[in-house]
Amino acid sequence: MKFEWSVIWDHSDQFLVGAEMTILLTVLTMALAIPGGLILAFLRLAPVRLVNVAATAFVEFFRATPLILQVYWVFYVLPATFDIEFSAFSTGLLALALNVSSFNSETFRAGILSIRRGQVHAGLAIGMSYPQVMRHIVLPQAIMRVLPALASTWVSLFKDTSLVSTIAVMELSYVSLQIRAQTYRILEVLTAMAALYWLMGYPQAKLVDWVHRRFKVAE
Amino acid sequence: MTESRSRVGQSEPPILAFDGVVKRYGPLQALSGVSFQVNRGEVVCLIGPSGSGKSTLLRCANALETIEGGRVVFEGIDLAEKETNVRKLRQRMGMVFQNFELFPHLTVLRNVTIGLTTVLGMAREPAEVRAMELLRKVGLVDKATKHPAALSGGQQQRVAIARALAMEPDVMLFDEPTSALDPETIGEVLSVMKRLADEGMTMVVVTHEMDFARRVANWVVVFDKGQVIEEGPPKQIFESAAVPRTRDFLSHLGWHGEDRIEGAQV
Repeated sequence: MKFEWSVIWDHSDQFLVGAEMTILLTVLTMALAIPGGLILAFLRLAPVRLVNVAATAFVEFFRATPLILQVYWVFYVLPATFDIEFSAFSTGLLALALNVSSFNSETFRAGILSIRRGQVHAGLAIGMSYPQVMRHIVLPQAIMRVLPALASTWVSLFKDTSLVSTIAVMELSYVSLQIRAQTYRILEVLTAMAALYWLMGYPQAKLVDWVHRRFKVAE
Repeated sequence: MTESRSRVGQSEPPILAFDGVVKRYGPLQALSGVSFQVNRGEVVCLIGPSGSGKSTLLRCANALETIEGGRVVFEGIDLAEKETNVRKLRQRMGMVFQNFELFPHLTVLRNVTIGLTTVLGMAREPAEVRAMELLRKVGLVDKATKHPAALSGGQQQRVAIARALAMEPDVMLFDEPTSALDPETIGEVLSVMKRLADEGMTMVVVTHEMDFARRVANWVVVFDKGQVIEEGPPKQIFESAAVPRTRDFLSHLGWHGEDRIEGAQV
């Protein structure tokens, strides 16, 4: 068997565009899923039963079904049911953001609940309102505490973006598989794809390790 | 030895009054009809066995706990009335917790200023000026830029006192302020509290420091099983308690009258 690595160089532009799209998807998804997760967490902690039942159902649906199904669902069912049409990119982004929001909401909720009641009392005792206590006392501590978990979600998300290739979002996986189909250089293309994912993913994983060490819960 | 003090400020209505306060946690009756008063300028110490309801009562005093019966009246205002602005009242009651409850993500200085800037809307600079004054008062100016985790328990509790004082409260509530401290740092906290008392601050102190209660309090309230079983000036409580359970409690702490205990406490 003979390797034809020139295939990779010939298509390097496309690979790079795909890699850029993967990064863009990851960043945008997280940018949506952090506020999304916070909102869901607050809804789940809300004292209104209807609100937190609805939020819980939402979260548990997205946590307990495969992401690829959610991607398809958003791609096929949403337009058919609600008569709205998204681009493939928006569809992929929406599915990822909903999914990661659900995971983030559990992370934030755990973080918020991990802050001692005494901290809330201390804030209230100096005359703060409940929202002020949340904003100035509870959330800053909760977010620091869950940074390692958020960072792990980030790395999973980075790899999971490959699933939106199924709806033809031109990220790294989709582009690679297309090049494979055009050139039939399966081994070279898959190797290049793996190398690119690894080159981007490894520093992130190391960064996450550092975040874990740096923000380890210490009181 | 300082002479035992007694009630002051009785000519005006009490600053804080508890009237038949009832608090339940499920089937547990934590407070079953507690009544006593705190006058302006007084130091009132609440003593009694653990679980007798002292700390619960203190949390009821600034509505951190809701009550099932009776009334808590602060400066003439019933806390439970619908139109009562509890937040406004809390600003006038400083609270010091057993576990300090400093905000660990903020510097010492910011712990003291955060109430001023977020609650009173004060600008940062004047807030910091006031905070530094208070840190000077509790002897911790040099720790202003540190985080609470870098401080000893006694130092943290002094910061917590400064944080409460920053709001210029009319009354200070202390919930077992020295119970979580190493023995060697208890003294520094008690002396800050003693100084506050000498300046005329109204204080309600839940404590197991009998020496502090005896020397600093104007009035001592004895709790047992969610009730006030006895109250009086410290001299009376510590030397000639009328209620047998008070005497039992004090003797459990090794208190057998001041002559034998002198020098042994704290």
